[in-house]
Amino acid sequence: MIALMLALLLAPVPDFTERVKEVIAHNAQPAALETAGYATIAAKLWRKEDPDWCSRRLVEILREGPRGDMFWMFPVTAIAYLDKGQLSGAARRTLRDSWRTYMPFRGDTENHWLLYYTSMYLMAQKWPGEGGELWFNGKSSAENFKEAEEWILWWVDTTTRRGQGEYDCTHYIGVYVLPMSYLAAWAEDDTMRKRATMMLEYLLADYAAEQLDGIYVGSHARTDDQQVVEKWNGISSDLGWLLFGLGMHTPSYGSYPFYYAVASAYEPPEILKRIATERPDGVLHKELKRTRHRWRFHKEQNGEVYKTTYLRSDYAVGSDQGGLLQPVQQHSWDVTWKVKDPRGVHNTLFTMHPYSGLLELQAYFTFAPDPATEVVYRSKKSYDSPDKLLGGSPYEQIMQDRDTVIALYDIAPGARFPHINGFFSKDLSVVVEDESGWIFARGGDAWIAYYPLAPYSWKPIAGGGRRLFSPHLKNGVVLQVAAASEFATLEAFRDAIRKLPLEVQLQPAPAVRFRSLRGADLHFRYGQERDFSSWKLFDGPFLQAERNSGNLELRHGSQRRLLDFRTLTVEEK
Amino acid sequence: MRWILWLMLAASAAGQSNARLHACVVNAKEWVVGARLAGSGLFRLDGVAGWEQLGFVHPMILAADYDRGDPATLYLAAGNGLIRARDGGRHWRVTTGWEVTELRDVTADRFLAGTVYFAHTAGIRKSSDGGETWVDADAGIDQKYCESLQADRAQQGRILAGCVNGIFLSEDGGGRWRRTGAEGVQVRRVVQSPHRPMEWLAGTQMAGLLRSRDGGRTWEAAGDVAVERNVYDIAFDPGQEDRIAVGGWSTGVLVSEDNGKSWERRSKGLPRWDIWSLAFDPGKPGRLYASVHEEALHVSEDAGKSWRNAGFDGSYIYRLQFFPEAAK
Repeated sequence: MIALMLALLLAPVPDFTERVKEVIAHNAQPAALETAGYATIAAKLWRKEDPDWCSRRLVEILREGPRGDMFWMFPVTAIAYLDKGQLSGAARRTLRDSWRTYMPFRGDTENHWLLYYTSMYLMAQKWPGEGGELWFNGKSSAENFKEAEEWILWWVDTTTRRGQGEYDCTHYIGVYVLPMSYLAAWAEDDTMRKRATMMLEYLLADYAAEQLDGIYVGSHARTDDQQVVEKWNGISSDLGWLLFGLGMHTPSYGSYPFYYAVASAYEPPEILKRIATERPDGVLHKELKRTRHRWRFHKEQNGEVYKTTYLRSDYAVGSDQGGLLQPVQQHSWDVTWKVKDPRGVHNTLFTMHPYSGLLELQAYFTFAPDPATEVVYRSKKSYDSPDKLLGGSPYEQIMQDRDTVIALYDIAPGARFPHINGFFSKDLSVVVEDESGWIFARGGDAWIAYYPLAPYSWKPIAGGGRRLFSPHLKNGVVLQVAAASEFATLEAFRDAIRKLPLEVQLQPAPAVRFRSLRGADLHFRYGQERDFSSWKLFDGPFLQAERNSGNLELRHGSQRRLLDFRTLTVEEK
Repeated sequence: MRWILWLMLAASAAGQSNARLHACVVNAKEWVVGARLAGSGLFRLDGVAGWEQLGFVHPMILAADYDRGDPATLYLAAGNGLIRARDGGRHWRVTTGWEVTELRDVTADRFLAGTVYFAHTAGIRKSSDGGETWVDADAGIDQKYCESLQADRAQQGRILAGCVNGIFLSEDGGGRWRRTGAEGVQVRRVVQSPHRPMEWLAGTQMAGLLRSRDGGRTWEAAGDVAVERNVYDIAFDPGQEDRIAVGGWSTGVLVSEDNGKSWERRSKGLPRWDIWSLAFDPGKPGRLYASVHEEALHVSEDAGKSWRNAGFDGSYIYRLQFFPEAAK
């Protein structure tokens, strides 16, 4: 068994074309064909096999009644474009009629809308010149096409000038890559195809610069209860494997990478592959992003998010500035260490304040006050739990300098959960509570020093690991990470950290003075004014873009690739 | 002369002996975006045939109104936009584009056919051509999210809006708004009395019930009813001048028989005290409908003193409204 696992781990990664075929083949051969769904139909149509079964099964599924809103629209759109004369007339008519008889909900997030409008764009393109009586929304093909195109253009423009709204998501990255793959493959308009291809590069460059062997690191607009601790276990890892041959894919390869594969299967350019796979030890990368739409309580509908990620060969540290930047599933900071096989491994450490409340839910959603928390809880089970490890807080502020993080908490009296949670993984090989107040730990080949600002206790976590529980309103943590190669022993690391000047105060507001292992004198006080006016859209050795620029320059070594969305040009140097 | 015709139509709807109950339903227990959704959308109660669904299944229809020039045309405030539902609600067209989402309320002008307003997540819009075109109509509202909207039935051009930061009044058909009360308070509902056109009530989030006796120009607390509760709906009984019902979260159904001077909780028989919507039947004295959160629609024949289940088990109804029979 061990030999087999070793063989699998050491087996050469197939090239891009083979990986694409592997993903599609997996979906074309389900365990039970009689209950197979849209993905199997799409896979078989792509492979040009079993057209009779595809037609029969498509009619069966559609007659059972469409469901899933925009999540129904995108597989059906793929089937319509992969048909290429293979489906029967009856199947094609049934598919067409379903866009008259079923009204998908457009949803309430940008990922919903991108799926919805990309599907509308392509289906209106496929069935041009038809009247509103043939569409569920009563609009003609021309009207639907125009509306979809306008919104897609708005989204591209806003994203390339102000940053992505649902940024850097371990799962939802797939929901953004997929529509761009569709448009890159199937839009008849040359400029839309070009724009979508450039956006694919844009989104993938964003990911390539912030991953550790395929694992999306640092802060995320959205992740989930499992992926926040087992960071590998998401669509981003499937994409890392499919596009760059990095790390490991999940057992199902992910539905969005599959539809990416059957659409454009766009192979990233060489420079993007190099950004993803050839990186020096010690890369500082900064980004500007947007909050999700805020309907209430804020002057700006989309606030700014300032992200910092520092990547070394063996670990990465990433953060945003703190605050309620996204609803429910925000993840603000962590350290992630590299592991050979990430499956089942919780290779991360972080702290957060478990906030839940109407300030968040009514800002980002249209919920009525009373059932809001209960409605969220139905699909996000941890939302109203004091033990949760997922979500942003209005009482958290974060600063980062390379591999040092200072996270401060000033929790309002009366807050629903007046404590902070620190995630200490089952996969830390060492955890030592030092008399100095520092907690020293080792994850993979990373040394981690964690200084809690207030007293704490330990609570077990279901599934392994421990939760640092600190029930103090004025709170915080100083985190310093280093590579195992820098310190031969725990003692050497401990001695180095203990020598670093550290001053902490909690009243009237938490504040820290700390000289980091890298020699930086860091002063951070909760509530202090911070000037982010010079923060760029992308700022790192691999990606550069100014605010409002509408472009992105990819850099690697002497290579340059400029994506200019204002002129829809790609310039290679 | 046309406006007289519209006024007569409006009056007939208010008199409403031939009115039909419409329900904006969400059959939503356990529903999230992308899940199968059965039985949600716009429904109409036909005395003989029972409930009939009109148009598509849709998870988010929060309110409806009918065009005073063509009562067979309904306007629906929906998640996907403003839906114009012709032929009594059967044939839908989404009249708005990507600029607006998750509409909160809709109100048709009582005097001008084809003039309609809706509130959405980022303001208020107006159409003067039956929804063919829309313009922003929220100048003067500082924080744009508005949950409730109602056109004055007695004075042309007057509209009241319940917004995230108070109650706003426009006296020029949405051209300009000014806050007239409830600053700092989220307002969930504004409703005009069918008997005394200068009297309005507003339901709020955590600030109870507010009353205006001067057409919405000034507001005051309407006693101690539903204080520190969230008021979701207000219903005036069109057949009983001083009867008002109020419902909200944990309030049950509160009924006043003296125009709001005193209130009695009338919730016996209701499975829970969380109320989304209320409506008195204009054609049946004493009949009151209440939408109970994720339980069912309930009906009382004695103005709330006793209740029985009236269908839609497991659902809740955002809004119960009576529209003229002509809408059929």
